[in-house]
Amino acid sequence: MSKVLLGIDVGSISTKGVVIDPEFRVLASSYLRTQGSPIKSIKLLLRELGRQMDGKAVIAGAGTTGSARRLAGVVVQADIVKNEIIAHAVAAGQYYPEACTVLEIGGQDSKIIILRDGIPVDFAMNTVCAAGTGSFLDHQAARLSIPIEQFGDMALKAESRVNIAGRCTVFAESDMIHKAQLGIATNDIIAGLCDAIVRNYMNTVARGKDIRPKILFQGGVAANVGVRSAFERTLEQKVVVPEHFLVMGAIGAAILAGEETEGRESRFAGFETADVAFETRAFECDGCPNRCEVVEIVREGEVIDRYGDRCGKWSEDLSKSSQPETVSQT
Amino acid sequence: MKATFPHFGYDTYALKTFVEDLGAEVVLGPPASKRTVELGVEHSPELICMPFKITLGNLIEAMEQGADTLLMAAGARKCRFGYYHYLQEQALARLGMRYKLVPVAQYSPYAFVFQLIPSVFHVSPVRVVRAIAIMLEKSLLTQEFRVLLNRKRAVDFREAERLKKPALEMVEQARSVKAIRRARRGLDRMFSCNGSAAPGHNGRKPGLAVGLVGEIYMMIEQFANQEIEKELGRLGVEVLFERSLHHHLLHLLRLDRSYFRSQRLARRYLRECPGGEAMRTVGESIHFVERKKVDGLVHIFPFTCMPENIALEALQQLSEDSGVPVLSLSFDEHTSRTGLLTRLEAFVDLLKRKKRVQGSSRN
Repeated sequence: MSKVLLGIDVGSISTKGVVIDPEFRVLASSYLRTQGSPIKSIKLLLRELGRQMDGKAVIAGAGTTGSARRLAGVVVQADIVKNEIIAHAVAAGQYYPEACTVLEIGGQDSKIIILRDGIPVDFAMNTVCAAGTGSFLDHQAARLSIPIEQFGDMALKAESRVNIAGRCTVFAESDMIHKAQLGIATNDIIAGLCDAIVRNYMNTVARGKDIRPKILFQGGVAANVGVRSAFERTLEQKVVVPEHFLVMGAIGAAILAGEETEGRESRFAGFETADVAFETRAFECDGCPNRCEVVEIVREGEVIDRYGDRCGKWSEDLSKSSQPETVSQT
Repeated sequence: MKATFPHFGYDTYALKTFVEDLGAEVVLGPPASKRTVELGVEHSPELICMPFKITLGNLIEAMEQGADTLLMAAGARKCRFGYYHYLQEQALARLGMRYKLVPVAQYSPYAFVFQLIPSVFHVSPVRVVRAIAIMLEKSLLTQEFRVLLNRKRAVDFREAERLKKPALEMVEQARSVKAIRRARRGLDRMFSCNGSAAPGHNGRKPGLAVGLVGEIYMMIEQFANQEIEKELGRLGVEVLFERSLHHHLLHLLRLDRSYFRSQRLARRYLRECPGGEAMRTVGESIHFVERKKVDGLVHIFPFTCMPENIALEALQQLSEDSGVPVLSLSFDEHTSRTGLLTRLEAFVDLLKRKKRVQGSSRN
């Protein structure tokens, strides 16, 4: 039986998973909405990937990434838990060794990664504000009753591009409403919105970064051809959307899991984990005025992980053995 | 008189010794916490920076404990920091508490020794000079403590955290010049580190070292920067820094050589000082990159800080010229801890990968 790698990326909006072979070809992949309950979506994802693989291969390594990477890592007993910046960079560097820039816009965050010779040398992530990310596009599509899949095509059909204020999503929305009330065509407004998103990205996240070709565009928003063409127009460069743009983070996690498990067995709990009962609980610690919110992950009645405390009183109380290695010391 | 002042990281111990040496009783509020920030934010102008909010919260909490004389650093030469005490005085007046706020103007050693301190504490200038001498010694001790702690964290994080409490007790108890020097030797033995993580030092497994630069309050008050030194230490990185109370005191006495060096080096990127400590941030960064050969720079400053935003541009240029990655982080009360940890983790991963590739290409 062949040995394969599993990668899971649990973000704010969507949960992604892939199974890749040792040559990094995608054997199975799945994309679903997190819908506020990451544990449920991780289980659904495992079930779906297990169905696609149909017992044909052995998982030799499992990695998790995304904002719920720690939770996902505990649930599937991952070999490595890695942040999404490195995961995206690794996947991009693997498939496109000549890539120098990765633009990534997901559900609630956007980032830029600068690569040289396939390794990340610089990155930035949106800080104070999440204007112009996927969930805003979702919201606008819903408001205009347009399926999000058609959003980009409509932008391409625009005859002229209107200027939309893109600094703040609330103001962007009022601006869009105002322009519609002036009688401007929906296509033009959507094109203006795509421009505003790119302008905001260039002025905040990508500010001061050395953007060189080849440029990759990853993450959920890369599906939107309107945003892609707005990027091409602004950067005056071709922007490449990789075949697996939706699951690049998951692929990166799988590749990293492969590096991590070299010469040892995987800890992966198996696709059957989908049937084990997990629960998360949160409580406010009253040990000091910081009142940290501590999260507990419970597997069949047993607390297997805790995090969120600043002082380490709760998280360090548990034995280290049941937790995945979050960081490997040099 | 029950004197108080805002917390200032580990250097609080040195400031406390100074005020006590002037014969005053010191009543400090509890170390800054979420409550401190909430109190500060409630009584602050909306867009003012983080140091204002936390120090105001510190003062209010100290007054709740009975403090009546509030010492607040002042000095209009730098940035809006120089006007903090006017605004804080107004905010405190609205609370209806009885207090006296003393703006401690820093930039004239003469006025400090002969006028300001004698008039507040009713002591002779000789006693002020003696107290300053002890504070200089003690701030060197707190600085040394931070250096050793950061070094130890990078090698053995758990042990470093275990040593922290007994080490701080030792720091707190040392009060005379002689005792302080003894404590310094004691700390050296306690942490028993052989040298820095800077490349290949003393035959130790070479680790990663980053230079921490930025605005002085954010760098020193560990609560304000969400214990960034600890988090980097947890990731196995030694944090080098130059900004401390000790260096600041030397600077006020016109004796800080690192200050002059930074001013000179910074001119490569900034023709003149845009305000605040931008020159120092840039100069220190160049020093860390070129002399200390750090693997990366972490630049921290309060959100909306004008001078540091200008320094940020210069640091990006420095990063491009030298190939040393820079992570710039602005902080305010909304800064998410998860977001911060993700960035730090990614930054350290990036440094590790870079080092691994460079190491393998050299062989």
